[in-house]
Amino acid sequence: MDYSQAFEISASGMTVEKLRIDLTAVNIANMHTTAGADGTLFRPLRVVSRPGAQNFAGLFEDGSESSVYKLRGAQVFAVQEMTTAPRMVYEPGNPSADATGFVALPGVDHVSEMVNLIAALRAYEANVVAMNAAKNMAVKALEIGGNQ
Amino acid sequence: MNIDPIVGIPPAAAGALSAQAGEAQGETFSKFGTWFGQQIAEVNGQLQRADANLQQLALGDANNLHQVMINLEEAKLSFQLLMQVRNRALEAYQEIMRMQV
Repeated sequence: MDYSQAFEISASGMTVEKLRIDLTAVNIANMHTTAGADGTLFRPLRVVSRPGAQNFAGLFEDGSESSVYKLRGAQVFAVQEMTTAPRMVYEPGNPSADATGFVALPGVDHVSEMVNLIAALRAYEANVVAMNAAKNMAVKALEIGGNQ
Repeated sequence: MNIDPIVGIPPAAAGALSAQAGEAQGETFSKFGTWFGQQIAEVNGQLQRADANLQQLALGDANNLHQVMINLEEAKLSFQLLMQVRNRALEAYQEIMRMQV
């Protein structure tokens, strides 16, 4: 059915937003973790998404120039580590404190993580609304000619 | 002015005619029948997939919730389409059965 394409596009957006929520949760969870056994400090993660690639068959069958821009969902391009400077907190009693008594904590920006959380949630909801609209259109189409 | 008398259709021709009609009717009927059967099988497959997805979800194996929900919606939509086709076919049949003879 041709409506399944609309569903697929919305689903791709939902997948991206779901990953964004997951990574934000990871960032928040690791807000106060110190360097692990291997000495590396956690770096905040970000999703990099881009328009989904059209499959080869689609390009082959539909050679028009405009086809490159239409009917492509979103896809996750990469999960990137942000290069924010670590937060230095004075905590001499901490086992991972350095010689001067400072502990390096990941540079997670709490406020921007919360904003990301809300934005991802709203974007997910918008995808669900778009999918429901497509579904309602299909249901309405099925009502054509029905005897109410 | 000559008016041709009403001549009955010769038995041989009549037989051929009715046989032809019957054949044509049978063919279209079977075509629609097979098509409808295929559609039913397809919808059934979709429903079974949705069911399997639900089972996976219940077992905690589903990788994403929205894909399961979308599959469910698609199966529901396909079934509704099937029902509408069935309603139209039945309506047509009843319309013919109501015909005055």
